[in-house]
Amino acid sequence: MAPSSSSGLTFKLHPLVMLNISDHFTRVKTQLNPPASSCATGNNNPSTGDATIPQDFRVYGCVIGAQKGRTVEIFNSFELLLDPTTDTLDRSFLEKKQELYQKVFPNFYILGWYSTGSEANESDMSIHKALMDINESPVYVLLNPAINHAQKDLPVTIYESEFHVIDGIPQPIFVNASYAIETVEAERISVDHVAHLKPSDGGSAATQLAAHLTGIHSAIKMLNSRIRVLHQYLGAMQKGDIPCDNSLLRQVASLLRSLPAAQSEKFKEDFLMEYNDKLLMSYLAMITNCTSNMNEVVDKFNTAYERNSRRGGRTPFM
Amino acid sequence: MSTVEAVVTSIQGLSASSSDLYALHDLLKGAVDSLRTDSELQLSTLDQLDPSKHSLGYLYLLDVLAYGPVSKEKVLLIARFINACDAVQIRLASEKFVSLCKRFKDKVLELRDPLLGVAPLLAAVHKVQVSTKRLTALHPDCLQLCLLAKCYKAGFSVLSDDILEVDQPREFYLYCYYGGMICIGLKRFQKALELLYNVVTAPMHIVNAIALEAYKKYILVTLIHSGQFSISLPKCASTTAKSSFKTWCTPYIEVGMRYNDGKISELEAVVVANSSDFEKDNNLGLVKQAVASLYKRNILRLTQKYLTLSLQDIANMVQLANAKEAEMRVLQMIQDGQIHALINQKDGMVRFLEDPEQYKTSEMREIMDSVIQRTIGLSKNLIAMDESLSCDPLYLGKVGRERQRYDFGEDFDTVPQKFSM
Repeated sequence: MAPSSSSGLTFKLHPLVMLNISDHFTRVKTQLNPPASSCATGNNNPSTGDATIPQDFRVYGCVIGAQKGRTVEIFNSFELLLDPTTDTLDRSFLEKKQELYQKVFPNFYILGWYSTGSEANESDMSIHKALMDINESPVYVLLNPAINHAQKDLPVTIYESEFHVIDGIPQPIFVNASYAIETVEAERISVDHVAHLKPSDGGSAATQLAAHLTGIHSAIKMLNSRIRVLHQYLGAMQKGDIPCDNSLLRQVASLLRSLPAAQSEKFKEDFLMEYNDKLLMSYLAMITNCTSNMNEVVDKFNTAYERNSRRGGRTPFM
Repeated sequence: MSTVEAVVTSIQGLSASSSDLYALHDLLKGAVDSLRTDSELQLSTLDQLDPSKHSLGYLYLLDVLAYGPVSKEKVLLIARFINACDAVQIRLASEKFVSLCKRFKDKVLELRDPLLGVAPLLAAVHKVQVSTKRLTALHPDCLQLCLLAKCYKAGFSVLSDDILEVDQPREFYLYCYYGGMICIGLKRFQKALELLYNVVTAPMHIVNAIALEAYKKYILVTLIHSGQFSISLPKCASTTAKSSFKTWCTPYIEVGMRYNDGKISELEAVVVANSSDFEKDNNLGLVKQAVASLYKRNILRLTQKYLTLSLQDIANMVQLANAKEAEMRVLQMIQDGQIHALINQKDGMVRFLEDPEQYKTSEMREIMDSVIQRTIGLSKNLIAMDESLSCDPLYLGKVGRERQRYDFGEDFDTVPQKFSM
């Protein structure tokens, strides 16, 4: 891995850049590899549902922002095409875009470029050098599109170029630079929106209910696992495998004592009555659902297998 | 002689592991014809084999022997074999086992001793069944024997599993019909209704005698159980059923219509008029039960209209003889749990109460829980069936044909009429 940078610059990355890069990657991947089912809309994860076909392609683009003193703030990005013959970025397009962005954001200028992949290659250095005439020290933002569920951090790395002496020749190599995420209020809202809503229907009551219930389910699951851990711990302590820890025992006792505040007979009755009511409601909902499914099955069966089905006026359903 | 001896020795030798069993099975299949013509094969040769260890070989030899005349000894031998045989070995040759059991059943019927065959066939059903959800050819035979031997409880134990997969429709019809009759014998009208309903609404292209008989009983059991009769069949019944059942079952439909009116005297008149028909179908007992249940239905109707009623009034409205009889009937219904009421014997008043179930107990919670789990399981099956139907080429072809009638311009491609696989 590249050594860390010693330039002393602090980098601030906006989430908009990451969203742009992941969206670009997802779009290109979907276009190259159209899935049989409905397309995945762009979401925070930079890959479609089935990451089984690893496409070894990369997307490229430019990042723009502003530098104030020692702080480099990367605000936005746009896409570029890589010319496969010369292996350089499309220069004329870049300049055209730069002019356009200059009109809207007069303070921003090109800070560097981005690409997707797992590591920085030697070939990237040539692109990096080509950009050096626009910005004397460009940055290279690299997004790793592979989904790694164990990874907790963002798969984004920022590289700078430094001249190091290798084999007696000073050569530019990529060095890691640390960065921080900076958000504006508008960005925070949009990221929240994308992160919490499922991409299928988006915003209808059913999906919101499902999202709410999923949240509760995961919370209960976590609670259950923690209680299990405590239970095992106490069991081991009772057997004598682990030395007794009195302060822990006191904490557990106080936790247990703070449980159901009411224990009377009336409470139990009312509680059971409400519990049974809820069960009855879900039973009713389930039966209604099953009945409507059954109705559909019967209709389909009749259409398929009855010899004289009624003609005309019947809406076909799938 | 040599074939029999050779077969016996090979059976004894090759009954150990599963690979040997396959070899043995092929050998036996090849040797069947020669065994049949061989006169050396006697019941005594079977003594050399052990039914639980050498089940497959025993089965083949028994099968050949069973073609002969009926004798009680043979029947007992077959019974002992069925009880003792090993399920795994039997499943390799399940059709032979099934045909053997069917012949066993016929012989038992010839000997007029159905009780002899009940226990072996029950065991046979469990051994042949690959999973509890699948219907085998032996189910209806087992139920038939239970019916003839009048041991309803044994038959009911077979009925307690849900059947989800069926191979042969005829077995299914017979199974549900006999099962319905067994439940009627046990007075479990709810389950009988479910089984008979299955036969009546089963898919069929031509009218089926079994379904017809089942429909007659179905009408009577609906009257007994739920007190209402509707002339139209449910939506899922086949069109053949809907069109033809009515013409064949007119006396029963008349009974049903009179029942709906609620007048005892008219109902009894209709019953007497058609009693020869009912007698022919062996349904007279059921019809009488239906008439008796009309009283119950009328009393039930009263609970919905009145809060309190005197016994004399009940007797008048339901057309009973006197107040004493009314009291007896109401008492019986309270004990059965069909109504909730309080009889005040001092002034002869009956007060009708609400259902006292408050849903406050934890037993109710467990009942709800188990019911919900069962519904979840059934719902999964239903969704799987729905999906498989949606992909069925017959269905898609028919829907595609209808879709072509709609002129949506260039947007919709015409669906092909036939899918070539």
